[in-house]
Amino acid sequence: MAVSRADGRGNEDLRPLGIVYEKLARVDGSARFGFGEMEVLASVSGPIEVRLAAEQPSRATIEVNVRPLSSLPGTESKALAASLRGLLTPSIILSRNPRTLIQLVIQSLTPSLTDRFSPSLVAASINAASLALLNGGSIPMTGVVCAAAVASLHPAFEEATSTLVLDPSEAESHTAAASGCFAYLFTTETGESQESPAIPGARLVWTNWHAKNGTFDEGELSRARALGLVGAETVWRAIKRSIPQMDGLPSLPAVGHLSAEVLEGAAQDEDDIKVSDRESDDAKIET
Amino acid sequence: MRPPSPSIPEKDFFFAALDQDVRLDGRGFLEPRSLDLSFGAELGHVECSLGKTRVLAHVDAKMVRPEPQRPFEGLISIHCELSPMAGAEYEPGRSSEEETALARHLDKIFRRSDAIDREALCVLTGERVWHLRLSVHVLSAASSSSSSDAAAAAGGGGGLLDCASLACAAALRHFRRPEVEVHGTGEVTVYAPEARAPVPLALHHTPFCVSFAGRSSLKVRMLLDPAGLELRLAHGVLVLALTAQRELAVVHKAGGLPLAPETLIGAVEIAARRARELETWLDVHVRDDWARKNVEVR
Repeated sequence: MAVSRADGRGNEDLRPLGIVYEKLARVDGSARFGFGEMEVLASVSGPIEVRLAAEQPSRATIEVNVRPLSSLPGTESKALAASLRGLLTPSIILSRNPRTLIQLVIQSLTPSLTDRFSPSLVAASINAASLALLNGGSIPMTGVVCAAAVASLHPAFEEATSTLVLDPSEAESHTAAASGCFAYLFTTETGESQESPAIPGARLVWTNWHAKNGTFDEGELSRARALGLVGAETVWRAIKRSIPQMDGLPSLPAVGHLSAEVLEGAAQDEDDIKVSDRESDDAKIET
Repeated sequence: MRPPSPSIPEKDFFFAALDQDVRLDGRGFLEPRSLDLSFGAELGHVECSLGKTRVLAHVDAKMVRPEPQRPFEGLISIHCELSPMAGAEYEPGRSSEEETALARHLDKIFRRSDAIDREALCVLTGERVWHLRLSVHVLSAASSSSSSDAAAAAGGGGGLLDCASLACAAALRHFRRPEVEVHGTGEVTVYAPEARAPVPLALHHTPFCVSFAGRSSLKVRMLLDPAGLELRLAHGVLVLALTAQRELAVVHKAGGLPLAPETLIGAVEIAARRARELETWLDVHVRDDWARKNVEVR
């Protein structure tokens, strides 16, 4: 049942995805990810020296810091940081670098209306963190975690099923009956996905689906899960397409839905793409 | 984590280069690093980069009850914190010396210098005023000094402060608060940006911060816009915040290299010229972005 959304999107349309590799000077990897204008900047440093108290003898320590745009980091930020740590851990091979630290900083670039992070902002944070880890190149990973947010809107009139929309805007998730973010780990260890052989299999690693009035039914949850997977797969394709251009163009044109044919076609486009340097930083000793 | 410290060959190279009138990155003594500014989707969201240092500044406003002692003045708070994104040596939660110095400088330059007209932020005396929140996030502190050196012990300053204060100035100039109307009996209507064009902040003046690093060997040399090693090895740092109209807002020279009055006046002249350049440059960029965003229809 198609519900007309405020910005004219279909129920299963994401906002244009923005992927920019920021090349921040003091960290190992950095990237900015945005669902439309809802952007998050993430940076990763690692493996680096770790404090004695946080050192672990057989694996690396992950530290995540979440910083909202305008307010001081409070309880919500700490909660999100703990969740991010948990959901990114399956994608990183920690045993490869024991007694070291992998330090992630998630900087929100979008003002939030309330203290809570909206599900799309959480999804953008997860995607930005994955991009930063890929950009760093120094951290061994098993797969890529991609996330998308889903909201269940109140039905227009009395109906049996409510409408599920993908990538809700801040206003939509504020008024939704239930909403949440779904994070999937894409890794070849789980085989290929049923949808398309070009995408590795996905496993749900985290979700914060919650309902305003406290109850939701399982049917709605599994439909939301499936819709979240569709969104996460689109994000994965966009990330995969941006990797060959990581050292070249600073930003990509907006991408929406990508089909498998376009992905294969992108391999041939590499030669046509003009690689331009964003900073001529090797010319002089810049500090 | 241990910050990188200058080694003896680095020190010797730096001093020998200075004696031959050469800076480490090939700039002229009075040449600043390259400057870039980009505005976000929201009004008051600005990212400024000076060389490899990048700072993000964001202004937002909400209506609150004023302080009881000052019922006709708005509130301004500046929040500045260095996260590990700026450099792995900044630990979250623990304020390094540099962070406190940066916060104090920004406070002096923008709040204590009365740059923003607080009485213009008043909506309803004693009931409702605007509370402006200026958040500064350092994305990359490529020009910082370590905490154990003379320059930082003298109170901080230098490349990071220049970039941060320019980002703050740009954010304050770019920001527009919603239009409000007060009806007879104390009812306040706040108009959405689509209904009535938002109003720019009333700024008494826009201060720009210019830093110098001083080093004396045969004679005293002042380096404009010091960065990295220059800050760590300088004998003293001079921080000047002034407006394009040649009014000094902040003069900070805490210890370090003794300067003759003529050198100080000379530095002020150079800083005044730089402030004028920055003012015109900033004005052009802010107006361009306002036009692009169609903030108002005339």
